[in-house]
Amino acid sequence: MTKNLLTPEMAALRPDLSEAVSILESKAPYGAVTLTSREYTRYLVDNNQEAVNPGDPTEGVIFTAFDGHTMRDKGVGGFSKEHLLKEAKDFVSGIDFKQNGKLDPGKEREADFQTEMENDPAEVSTQDKMDYLREMNQRVKEIDSRIVNARVSFLEMREKTVFRNRTENLAQDVQRVHMGIMVTAMGEKGVVFDFTSKCGCAGLEILTFSDEELEKLVRNAIGLLDAARIEPGEYSVVTAPGVSGVICHESFGHGVETDMFVKERAKAAHYLGKRVGSDLVNIYDDPSYPGAFGSYFFDDEGLPAKSTQIVKDGIFVGGITDLFSATVLGIDRTPNGRRQDFSRKIYPRMTNTFFGSGDMPLDELIGQVDDGIYIPKISSGMEDPKGWGIQVSGHYGFEIKNGVLTDKMYAPVGLTGYVPDVLESISAVSNDFDLSGGFCGKGTKETVPVTDGGPHLLLKARLG
Amino acid sequence: MFEKIKKSLQENTDIKDWTIRHDIIHGFQQYELKESTESVREVNSELYTIDVLCDSKNSEGKLGSGLGTVSILPGGDIESSLEDAVITAKLVHNEPYDFADPAAISEIELADKEYLNDPAGEIQEVLDTLKKTTESYPHVRLTAAECFGQEKTAHLVSSKGIDATQKTTQLYLQWVYIAGSGDEEVETFAEVYRRRISDLELAEEAALRAQYTSDLLEAEGPPSYEGPIFVQGPTLAVMIAGEMLAGSLIQTLSAASLKYSGETPWDIGKSIFRDEVKGDDFNLFANRQLPYGIPSSSFDKEGIPAKRIELIKDNKLEAFIANQRFADYLDMEPSGDFGSVEIPAGKVTQADLQSKPHIEIAEYSWFNPNPITGDFACEIRLGYIVEDGKRKPFKGGMLVGNLLDALANMKWSKETGFYGNYLGPKAAIFNNLKIAG
Repeated sequence: MTKNLLTPEMAALRPDLSEAVSILESKAPYGAVTLTSREYTRYLVDNNQEAVNPGDPTEGVIFTAFDGHTMRDKGVGGFSKEHLLKEAKDFVSGIDFKQNGKLDPGKEREADFQTEMENDPAEVSTQDKMDYLREMNQRVKEIDSRIVNARVSFLEMREKTVFRNRTENLAQDVQRVHMGIMVTAMGEKGVVFDFTSKCGCAGLEILTFSDEELEKLVRNAIGLLDAARIEPGEYSVVTAPGVSGVICHESFGHGVETDMFVKERAKAAHYLGKRVGSDLVNIYDDPSYPGAFGSYFFDDEGLPAKSTQIVKDGIFVGGITDLFSATVLGIDRTPNGRRQDFSRKIYPRMTNTFFGSGDMPLDELIGQVDDGIYIPKISSGMEDPKGWGIQVSGHYGFEIKNGVLTDKMYAPVGLTGYVPDVLESISAVSNDFDLSGGFCGKGTKETVPVTDGGPHLLLKARLG
Repeated sequence: MFEKIKKSLQENTDIKDWTIRHDIIHGFQQYELKESTESVREVNSELYTIDVLCDSKNSEGKLGSGLGTVSILPGGDIESSLEDAVITAKLVHNEPYDFADPAAISEIELADKEYLNDPAGEIQEVLDTLKKTTESYPHVRLTAAECFGQEKTAHLVSSKGIDATQKTTQLYLQWVYIAGSGDEEVETFAEVYRRRISDLELAEEAALRAQYTSDLLEAEGPPSYEGPIFVQGPTLAVMIAGEMLAGSLIQTLSAASLKYSGETPWDIGKSIFRDEVKGDDFNLFANRQLPYGIPSSSFDKEGIPAKRIELIKDNKLEAFIANQRFADYLDMEPSGDFGSVEIPAGKVTQADLQSKPHIEIAEYSWFNPNPITGDFACEIRLGYIVEDGKRKPFKGGMLVGNLLDALANMKWSKETGFYGNYLGPKAAIFNNLKIAG
């Protein structure tokens, strides 16, 4: 049973969308109309200030007309029932579409979806949300007097979508939540910080932090005051799930978004069916992963969410697509057509991208390392789809000596290398698994929520 | 609708102060693939954003200020939105502060008349020019390009008496050059944000990117190196001013909000560097008045007029960048948003900077220093070993260091350039940085 699936304006407009699609298809081989409403609010409490900042809502109608060559879109802000059909007519009038017969709109399907939640943020008062953040701030700052600030932030995002083409009439209401805690400490050498977060497609029930988690956060922030710079060179490296995830995101994530194939930007296009990593490497993108921050029920082009395997036992088996790139390349569509909001175009985008787990316990994996570095946390990563260079910035790392993790801390720890070399060097994969969430852009724009992750990996890479 | 919102705000006795911002945006987007057009988009939107300031009390009954913000689409429910804003404002507890008072607002040049004459036509023209320019470089192929244009009209009115309007334009252009064939192909990817078409400097940018692309084909592995590092153009601008839509280390550490929270080690009148300055003295203006600067504005979202702030003079911090609230807390003049980075020209020519053997970094994967400490370890996408008049390209390896330490030991060029959010020396040499090859 769905509750408040759509806004009243979207619900009122939904019955008229079929006629709007017909108007588009009176001129174009394929037409679709999407209603999208994306709202988010950020809450912040730190030692000195509080804030509630609603983001600009992006609400609008997107008219799409495609002839197999050029994808035409028009985004109109708001939901005007009065203007819908006129906008559709105006949009396609005067355009000379190529007529290659009707494009396949997919199977007949009518369905509504909604994120399952125990504690829907929409039903919790701002007062209660702020009180929870104040309590978290208090818990963190009481741990150590060297903490100069404990910044606790909470983000709630609600995405409501209706997708209509000739055969599909779909609606989804996706709730995303994210809580981050950033701890700043000051010492003789300056100011340092550490951070942690939890997120998902879920309600507030997932945003709890144990005392142990908060104490570890503060301990690492304080530890950074005395962290050393690592001596540049090649190391045996153990990556935590969040770091493994960024390696996979930047190597066989961005590089296999198939608009990159169309633009001749992807080196991976020359490696289909070829080895790109050790036998232990399996990489997936899965928008249907339960409760993950990058999940949804159908993509922005109406394709149902499901898992796509990108690398199987070290062999590259296929990329992720949207309607345009799949049509142009003549390959199967995957449910990865995503847009930032109604004002932006669709691209093939990652969702939840991760390495598959292995079967080795973590302590056994670390036990294999005589002299190496454990990287528990990243601060950023950058793709290089053509050159296959990889840059992952570890926020810090710990020394591993004789198979044992020590307290010796290095910061920051930059990891670079050539993608096939790094993936080929993976010699052990742990049996655990975790996903870290955040936002991903294409260049400096087109931001969408994603996760990446996997197990711990043992590999060789250049650190500096 | 504007007047209805204003009337409702004036009649609401719970609201101490308010601001209405009304933004109207018209945008065109065109996406090119090789010889064809992938997608053409038109986007129109309109939004009212209202800030309300109310008195609020914390759990101990102490009086403070709370801010509530709502955005209303045309036709939206004004009364219920304002009610939400007031409820939120009363639940947020901060030390008391005020909204900005009216002040003289100078008109800054922010809109490109050429673009406004025919937005869709001008975007097509930019892409056509890019294609035509690329024909001069037969060794590279233009495989994709995107060009967006946006016209935005912003009207701001506040209970304090501010009433101001500004029109801005913004252009975004990205393109991909490929050289070589098969598994040996290489690419360069360019992204440029400007307010004016003429500032895209297409001929110069295309020539530089084409050169980089062909040099990548010849590039060898990285050296291990410690010594002078030369950087120029947009790559230097990103190091100093940060990514176009994000901030830089200097913006972060000079923020009054961080001073208030005790998270910046910088103090007015003290050197921003931890060690002795061995190169040129460092001087920097935070300039929101820069004509056609991407972060420039006649007034910011609080209505604070554009200023040109002398931020760092002879290595010492002269001011913090403060919105009205943190200016009130720290008893200083509000500066409003940071704006562009402006650095005075250096004393020597670019040629002089390059006269001795050095390494030039042409492109990073991403120059992203730690936003508080300035430590960085960034992958080099293309560099040159420069010796005896010869330039040998290389790729890979990491440039390792600390940005503040690097700024304390560098020389700037006499020649200057404008790169959207940076006006200053076109080139610089960092006297001692390390490459991990």
